[in-house]
Amino acid sequence: MTATAVTRVTHSCHLIEIGGRTFLTDPWFSSKPGYYQGEPIAIAIPDLPPLDGVLISHAHYDHCDLKTFAAYRDQRVPIFAATTVVGEARVNGFRDVTGLDAWESVEVGPVTITATPGKHGVHEVTFVLRAGSEAVYFAGDTLYIPELNQIPERLGHINLALLPTNGLQIRPADDLQVVMNADDAAQLTAILKPELAIPHHYAFTSGWLGNRLVTRSDRDPQHYQDAAREFAPETTVRIVEPGTRTEL
Amino acid sequence: MPSSTHTVVLDDVGPVEITLDERGTGQPFLLLHGGGGPTTVSAFADTFATTKDVRVLVPTHPGFAGTPRPLALTTIRGLAQTYVALLDQLDLEDVTVIGNSVGGWIAAEMGLIADPRVSGVILVDAVGIEVPGHPVADFFSLTMDQVFSLSFHNPEPFRVDPQSLPPAAQAAAAANRDALATYAGAAMSDPTLLHRLQEMDTATLVLWGDSDQIVDPAYGRAYAAALPVARFQLLTDTGHLPQVETPQQLIDAIWNCGEADYTDQRDLGIN
Repeated sequence: MTATAVTRVTHSCHLIEIGGRTFLTDPWFSSKPGYYQGEPIAIAIPDLPPLDGVLISHAHYDHCDLKTFAAYRDQRVPIFAATTVVGEARVNGFRDVTGLDAWESVEVGPVTITATPGKHGVHEVTFVLRAGSEAVYFAGDTLYIPELNQIPERLGHINLALLPTNGLQIRPADDLQVVMNADDAAQLTAILKPELAIPHHYAFTSGWLGNRLVTRSDRDPQHYQDAAREFAPETTVRIVEPGTRTEL
Repeated sequence: MPSSTHTVVLDDVGPVEITLDERGTGQPFLLLHGGGGPTTVSAFADTFATTKDVRVLVPTHPGFAGTPRPLALTTIRGLAQTYVALLDQLDLEDVTVIGNSVGGWIAAEMGLIADPRVSGVILVDAVGIEVPGHPVADFFSLTMDQVFSLSFHNPEPFRVDPQSLPPAAQAAAAANRDALATYAGAAMSDPTLLHRLQEMDTATLVLWGDSDQIVDPAYGRAYAAALPVARFQLLTDTGHLPQVETPQQLIDAIWNCGEADYTDQRDLGIN
């Protein structure tokens, strides 16, 4: 069986290899005014490997670009998603769509996918993928909420955590924070105790004017690495450029 | 100030030749002039590019300042498509479009195209919408002296007697007037625009001179209110052409918009 590995595609979109299967998270392959990756999209849709499943945390465009991802070669690919994504996935032609609420699980061969809690501007779930003794946690762009502390107790040890770190705030909503920040992510890392953690969701930009009128965010993942050194010193934090494959 | 000529091809129009002046390097801004032609923004572009790390691109709308206009290019929407095609040809990303007066109307139409290259729009005393009780001044029936009076907080330093201009300048002004009439019509508005603005997701900053009598501040507030993602800011002691009358105030308003206090305004709609 191949090693557990993660290749960051862009933003929160990753290829996760676990249990000999390959999953894509939160597909985002285009841009539009106000929504820019701020980093390359390392793998184009035609170049994606055969996928055993696609995990989608919530319905926001930068995590759920199904209109673009509909160009994927096989619309029978299983999609496991927050329940609020199911309709949109079907409208875009995907036939095998499963909505999951927090703590619900499905099996894909040797891999158990469990939706875990999340909290964001809209309904969101996060995911744990487990194959035997190895487990990956994918945090989408959730806030850090106490329910996430239950993950190790309910689902066992996490080996690799993929965590957002930009602490995105919405300026017109009194700077409401909708994504965990570097300190939040470091504290969650201390709870999950993974051997390896990889930050994501930090390069995102709303554009020169949008960054001033609409959003405020921390675009430096080093802040998470520094905070994790304090809160979770036993975890290795690796800042990974898009396109880089990282084995556990 | 490097000047270049670019040709883009629109499906319904054919080839369109654009004269483009550029200043500076850095964050890209497309600066669109109003009916007075490119000279109404050129000094502002110089100041902006020399005081900030910005690349300012100033096209001349085809037909203005002696440039050719294809006969089939007759609308503001056509100009918006022309400039989106130009940004594509130049492969520019994260472009903020600044437009004054009719240039603001073009900028709004560019925002509505929703091309990812246009990440933000700044409307400076823009025309283009219809607001009951707040009509755009009837430019084509005004004398130039009246235009100056309505355009500036303090018009005296800016008044020019058109008859005193050399013949070439008078001819260019007449050509600008014809081009403006062709693109914008006598009313300088599109009755469908206000409604269509509801579909615009591009972040927009609406800046307005408090002494503007061509399009008054209430008109500007209506512009901002129609846009889902917009902020309105009043500029003081300035009129329809803040880039001419108070250029530093305009630069400050653009550059510091992230720190401005918008608490007296309705919230933006955020997805």
